[in-house]
Amino acid sequence: MRRFYLFGFLLLMGFDSLAQISFKYAGTQALPVEVNVAWLLRVFGQPWVYGAIVGYVGAFFTWMALLKHAPIGPAFAASHLEVVSVMLLSVWLFDEQLTLVRVAGASAIIAGIVCLGFAENSEHAAAPGPAAADT
Amino acid sequence: MPAGDSISPLVAGLWLLNIVLDSGGQLAFKAAAGDETAGDGLARWKHMAARPWLWLGVGCYVIEFLVWIAFLSLVPLSEGVLLGSINIVAIMVAGRILFGEKLTRLRIAGILLVTLGVAIVGLGG
Repeated sequence: MRRFYLFGFLLLMGFDSLAQISFKYAGTQALPVEVNVAWLLRVFGQPWVYGAIVGYVGAFFTWMALLKHAPIGPAFAASHLEVVSVMLLSVWLFDEQLTLVRVAGASAIIAGIVCLGFAENSEHAAAPGPAAADT
Repeated sequence: MPAGDSISPLVAGLWLLNIVLDSGGQLAFKAAAGDETAGDGLARWKHMAARPWLWLGVGCYVIEFLVWIAFLSLVPLSEGVLLGSINIVAIMVAGRILFGEKLTRLRIAGILLVTLGVAIVGLGG
């Protein structure tokens, strides 16, 4: 069962990362940002936007499958830890830098997410569904 | 946006719009799913489809999808995903205000830490 969770969370992280990277590629190729049909056509006229949709749909179903078995607290925390994988991937794919500011900000955010995970866990009985695997 | 640049009004506007749409979508789905007169199974889906909440949620998410693409095209991805983490805070605060969900000490600590992290990234460039 432990292996099931580990695989599930890695899959979730994979789908989330795919979505974010696809969003970035799709947006970059559709520049400049405009509120008009031409921008929409640029967005939907290249393949990356569909990678984002695949990532979202995959993350949604993985999340639903995980929630059937996994406790909500760790599931919530793990579902938001894609910030780590996305940051590392953006260094590799987009030549971005892990500046001190970003690492400091990411550390605080991750600590906060872990706190929220524990909070959900301790009130599991009363807790409502958390945000789905979203942005 | 190279390090050190301040965030442009367009980026800030897209970021705020993303928060509003994400929270709005989540709350609309919560309102749709929480309707206790809805029944079960297929009847429940028919009930939800005949009311505005489900569609409001779908609409918010569709627009959010586009807003997020526009937002990420203007900021580095590593910064964008960190700034987007504020949605976690927004939905918890909104849940507290609209549905009376309780904020325990641990939740408040989590909310403050995530907010601090977003502020560091947003203000520090």
